[in-house]
Amino acid sequence: MDENRISNSIYAGMLNLNLIIILYIAGIMAACLLGYVHENTALSFLQQVGSITMAPWKIPVLSVLLYGSLVLFLCAKTENSFLIYGKTGIEIAICLMLVRLLNFSYTGMLLLILADVTRRMTKVKWKYLAIGIVCAVYLLLDYNLFSDRYHITALETYLVYYRGDIRSILLVVKNVLGSLNILLFIIYMIQLMRAQMSEKDRILSLNDKLNRANEELQLANRQMEEYAKESIKNAETQERNRLAREIHDTLGHSLTGIITGLDACVTLVDVAPDAVREQLKVIADVARNGMTDVRRSVKALRPDALEKMELEKALIEMMEETRKASHVEIEYCCTAELTHYNKDEEEIIYRIVQESITNAIRHGKASKIMIAISMEYHVMNIWVKDNGIGCKKIEKGFGLHHMEERLAMLHGSLNYFTDNGFILEASIPIRWGEER
Amino acid sequence: MKKDKWKQRSAVAVGAALLLIAIVILTDAYQKIPFRKEVVLTVGVFSDSYWEVQNGYSYQILEDAIALFEEEHPGVRVEYVSGILKEHYPEWLAEQMVLGKAPDLFLVFGENFNDFAEIGALKDLSGLMESDDSFEKERFYSSALNCGRYGERQYALPYECAPKLMFVNKTILTEEGIPLPGENWTWEDFYEICAAVTKDTDGNGTLDRFGVVGYTWADAFDSNGVQLFDRRGTECYLTGEEVREAILFMEKLNGLHDGYSVGSKDFDLGNVAFQPMLFSEYRAYKPYPLSIKKYSGFEWECIPMPAGNHGANISELDTLLLAMNANTSQTEYAWELMKLLSADERIQSEIFTYSEGVSVLKDVTESDETLQLLIERSGDNNGFNLDVLSDAVEHAAVTFGFRNREEAMEEVNKAVRDIMEGSSNISMELIIWNREINQFLKNQINR
Repeated sequence: MDENRISNSIYAGMLNLNLIIILYIAGIMAACLLGYVHENTALSFLQQVGSITMAPWKIPVLSVLLYGSLVLFLCAKTENSFLIYGKTGIEIAICLMLVRLLNFSYTGMLLLILADVTRRMTKVKWKYLAIGIVCAVYLLLDYNLFSDRYHITALETYLVYYRGDIRSILLVVKNVLGSLNILLFIIYMIQLMRAQMSEKDRILSLNDKLNRANEELQLANRQMEEYAKESIKNAETQERNRLAREIHDTLGHSLTGIITGLDACVTLVDVAPDAVREQLKVIADVARNGMTDVRRSVKALRPDALEKMELEKALIEMMEETRKASHVEIEYCCTAELTHYNKDEEEIIYRIVQESITNAIRHGKASKIMIAISMEYHVMNIWVKDNGIGCKKIEKGFGLHHMEERLAMLHGSLNYFTDNGFILEASIPIRWGEER
Repeated sequence: MKKDKWKQRSAVAVGAALLLIAIVILTDAYQKIPFRKEVVLTVGVFSDSYWEVQNGYSYQILEDAIALFEEEHPGVRVEYVSGILKEHYPEWLAEQMVLGKAPDLFLVFGENFNDFAEIGALKDLSGLMESDDSFEKERFYSSALNCGRYGERQYALPYECAPKLMFVNKTILTEEGIPLPGENWTWEDFYEICAAVTKDTDGNGTLDRFGVVGYTWADAFDSNGVQLFDRRGTECYLTGEEVREAILFMEKLNGLHDGYSVGSKDFDLGNVAFQPMLFSEYRAYKPYPLSIKKYSGFEWECIPMPAGNHGANISELDTLLLAMNANTSQTEYAWELMKLLSADERIQSEIFTYSEGVSVLKDVTESDETLQLLIERSGDNNGFNLDVLSDAVEHAAVTFGFRNREEAMEEVNKAVRDIMEGSSNISMELIIWNREINQFLKNQINR
């Protein structure tokens, strides 16, 4: 921003310098005209000039008015390309009037426009066209090019009024001021270039930082994925170990007791049938206990959601979460009462719905899933359809296989086929009022 | 941000306003804003007579015209600055132009007309003349009207004029028994009379009576039908037979004086038979009080200039012109006043009363009233022929105004002098000089 302030103050310097130059030339012209009148040599001056000159008071007044309006137009900032072109056009027109007024003795104010255009038009279309036009006007505004056609009197002709030495001093001052203006313009452009270059550097370094951060983020992401995989594997291993322990502790224990008890029965059956009966009762108890333990283990494996809430709520919650997580549209329609089922039935309903949704998203790439649950003569029907790519040749994965197995345990059946998406139908016979 | 936007807009608005004011000043449009109810028309005039005769009536014609004009155009006031002498007038006018305060209407001397027209200080009147049905340019002497032409356009109207006539010392002619030459006299008659009167009357061995004084090569060119330049001043016609004849005639005439340089004082003293003068001088010194101041020792009369072999009794015409400021904001009123001054018989007839010039309107100059007035003023009845005057004005040599005509004439003057002083072949010299002057004209145009 500091760079900007420096170029602003150089520009302000140029504005002031141009005002001084214009007033200086206008003042000389007016003074010479009044001088010719004062010395009674106006007629010979007019004969030499060959055209009517402007009234002396008008030259400085018009110079100040035109220059003031030029500065105000230069100060106006706008982003609109059309407005900028219009503005630049007006500025050039004012400059032409000023140059004509000063009889082509000074054209440096066009550098003000050039500096302005170069700085402001960074975002404008055909920026270089505008710069080119201003440059062309600046280059073509030559006294000799127009003096013949438009009866322009050189400043030198006005200055004939003064003695030779004074004349040359006046001209030197004018030329030095003009050169100073060009010098300021060059410094301004260098400053502008430097500012733009440092701006570019800043953008480059920011870009670099962004790239580095991006790379780090990708690395972290990869690590996270690996970690997630590992943690799944860990969980699986833990679960397997727990299952093994569970099986070993409950079923193994019970079965061992049952086997030992049955072996004893085999030995005793001929000698003490009564003892056998007692023994069998004990074995039955052990088996029952084992069964309880298995139930407890299975219960421990049930999904969390079902553990905490009702089936219907759990289903809706699961669908809601999926919707949120994967932005899939899920239509759900349930005409059956979803309470008072056995735990295994609840679980399989939950698992079928969950697995179907997972399959639809993962394999079918579906964006819309329709789920319908209905009850018909003690048979629950679950129907799931998605708008995904379906499956030409269905390869039964772990999910489907597992579903079939579970349904088979409850004497249910599973059907699936592809028709504008994947369609899955499951029916589960419900046991009413059985043991809980 | 919003405040910033407001600031931007007001900056542009003020900038546009300043630009507008500048344009209004630049185009002089502000002069059209009626600050005052009354329209003021300014006229540039000088205090003494154009014909160098002090008669005390310098502003009389203008005053009468202003009275008429203000009566016809209520709400318009005409102003003029009095007290500017004729010798300072062109400079005064130029100063007013430089200061941007030039009058709406001003008098222009014939000699300054080209300069002022050249710099664009004068309004082109051609359009006004054509669109105005009440303006009949046929009523003007075409030669007088032509004096206000520059290039192909009319930039001024003639106000008054005076043709060049030949003044004759009748006393000398009577002494020699020579009758007054007729209106159609020629160079041969002229030369014969000059040769006859050139004498050493007192017998002291030097000539003391001469034929002519002040007869220049330009007079000879005019009366031999020489047209020196084309209309646009791009070409000089110095190689014609008329020019050669005129120069030969001048050489022959000068040969009579035997090397003695005759001055106009010799004419005043009654020792010269002829001197070309403006008609205004005749009018100034013919009437009684002034007639004893000059030319009192002899009888004199004015007749047309002698005609050359290829020309007629033609001479130059000095014209005082009336022009309009090119930047006037009151074109219509200025034109009306201009017409009143220049083309209205009521005003033009006053020229014969209050000035020494000749009206630029044919009807006025040729009227009986004018004749009566001239006879009354001159005090002798021996029949002043108005036709001589009218013819001299009507057939005056037409010169075309163009840029730097004066400088070009100076070049021709140099050429003629050089040829007359030298002794080489005139035709050859003329060709060489013609080439040189053409080159000069070309350079003037390219300047």
